[in-house]
Amino acid sequence: MSDQGPIKVMVVDDHPMWRDAVARDLGESGFEVVATAGDGDQAVRRAKAAGPDVLVLDLNLPLKPGVQVCKELVGHNPALRVLVLSASGEHADVLEAVKSGATGYLLKSASTEELLDAVRRTAVGDPVFTPGLAGLVLGEYRRLASEPAPAADADQPRAPELTDRETEVLRLVAKGLSYKQIAERLVISHRTVQNHVQNTLGKLQLHNRVELVRYAIERGLDDE
Amino acid sequence: MRMSVELPLWRALTGYRVLTMLYAVGLFATQYDDYDRPGIAIGYFVVLCGWTLATLPRVQNEAACTKRFLAADLTVALTGIVLTPLVVNDAHIDSGGPTLPSIWTAGSVLAYAIKGGWRWAAFASTPVAVANLIERGAPARDTIHNVILVWVASIAIGYVVEVARASERTLARALEIEAATRERERLARDIHDSVLQVLAMVQRRGAVLGGEAAELGRMAGEQEVALRTLVSGGLTRVSWASEDVSQGAVVRAVDEPDPEGPVDLRALLAPFAAAKVSFAEPGAPVELPPGAARELAAAVGASLDNVRRHAGEDARAWILVEDEPDEVIVTVRDDGPGIPEGRLAQAEGEGRMGVALSIRGRLRDLGGSAELISVPGQGTEVELKIPKASRGKAGQR
Repeated sequence: MSDQGPIKVMVVDDHPMWRDAVARDLGESGFEVVATAGDGDQAVRRAKAAGPDVLVLDLNLPLKPGVQVCKELVGHNPALRVLVLSASGEHADVLEAVKSGATGYLLKSASTEELLDAVRRTAVGDPVFTPGLAGLVLGEYRRLASEPAPAADADQPRAPELTDRETEVLRLVAKGLSYKQIAERLVISHRTVQNHVQNTLGKLQLHNRVELVRYAIERGLDDE
Repeated sequence: MRMSVELPLWRALTGYRVLTMLYAVGLFATQYDDYDRPGIAIGYFVVLCGWTLATLPRVQNEAACTKRFLAADLTVALTGIVLTPLVVNDAHIDSGGPTLPSIWTAGSVLAYAIKGGWRWAAFASTPVAVANLIERGAPARDTIHNVILVWVASIAIGYVVEVARASERTLARALEIEAATRERERLARDIHDSVLQVLAMVQRRGAVLGGEAAELGRMAGEQEVALRTLVSGGLTRVSWASEDVSQGAVVRAVDEPDPEGPVDLRALLAPFAAAKVSFAEPGAPVELPPGAARELAAAVGASLDNVRRHAGEDARAWILVEDEPDEVIVTVRDDGPGIPEGRLAQAEGEGRMGVALSIRGRLRDLGGSAELISVPGQGTEVELKIPKASRGKAGQR
């Protein structure tokens, strides 16, 4: 980080109060706030122009929902890291944002230190999980597993599954253990814990993309 | 424009009038020999055809079908009926031959029925009955038969139209209520979101400012958790009951006496979430029989009491609900000092495991279990399990 200059952050929130407070906190802590936006359309335009490393995104936005903003921007630049900062934590929205490429989720009630730490971790590609998000992701995998399996010959993608280890790690995250504590308990390295958590998200996002492509092909959208 | 229920009726009426007009003319042509004064008959049919075709737009919908039109239309029909004895020979009348407009008359009466319901239909078919009897000159059986047929049919159709209009009104009202409810929910979401933002901001700034502001911030934080739990679907929906079937979609909220069906465990556990208690759940209903859900919730409550008693007021706690295919697992973890290995049994003897594990017996009655896991430095976990088979539907699995 040090040799590449400060991390470039963009803050998207429709409440000016929050936008300014978050931008100020980030600026004071050595991040470079390259842009802010107050609605979905603005966010998409400005993010494409400013090219931030990390997008701090509220999901409840006017004009265009945050989930859609996340989809468009990650589709445009897969290297962009998205940290969702939400007030209400509506389950469907959060899960949808994570599936479409967000790698972090934090409630607005988190402290300033937690926020700064989350942005730093998001920037280096570490998934930022709350216990609540871990619970949702576990639930999502279980729902996918309980769906009727596609016929053996069908070219449908198989539902993603967690390995036993990944499930174990995710359960510990949901119970509020830090990565460090999880590493201690399972006698694995901190890095391995991070990899496991990252994989759980990666598989969901991949499955989501495969489903989208399959849907597009079924609907004939791949035709010239 | 939305298709109304009665629109097809008006279309049918339009078709009926044109077809019966052609029928009446055709009937006249085939029975030309019966006519003493065909000139008057031809004159009447010219008027009838002209009137029918010119007034086609009048029978397209309720608004166009004015009272004046209805009156004029009925007059045309009645004139035709009364004219009949003047233009045909007596043999035609005595053999029960058709009147000049014949079944075209029914179209006029049906227009009344569709416009105004069964009362209007009864009103319009009465003069038609009288005119028919005058035309025949005597209450012959086939004439009375026809008269009653027109009467009954028009009243029945009038009644059907009234019922259709009533249900259409009910449907419109229900759609209106639904739209209003959705709009209210949307507004509530926005307002809740704003309130949450402000509470979170007060909490955040309060923590920075310290002193009295910190206390305010802490209170705002408590409320933030409570409201967030509420809006993120922690509470079950009220039940709706329809009271009057004829009112269809008109419903009211009811208190469910004692739910027989499964309840969503999340709704019972969500109120435990607080500033220091995190609540993680799968994002979909976790259904259990009411008894089992209550036992589990009670066990979670007792476990949290235990955390406060043994790990201190400042200890944080995490609740995790997992909905496995064959069981429901609820874990309560705290970040207290934990219990060193080897002391677990001793702790159990001292009552250190608290009320939560005294529920162990009750959970076991439901086929479940309660386990205590403690890792030094990582707090204590109570893992509560209830098999889903205990809901009595084990045969299905």
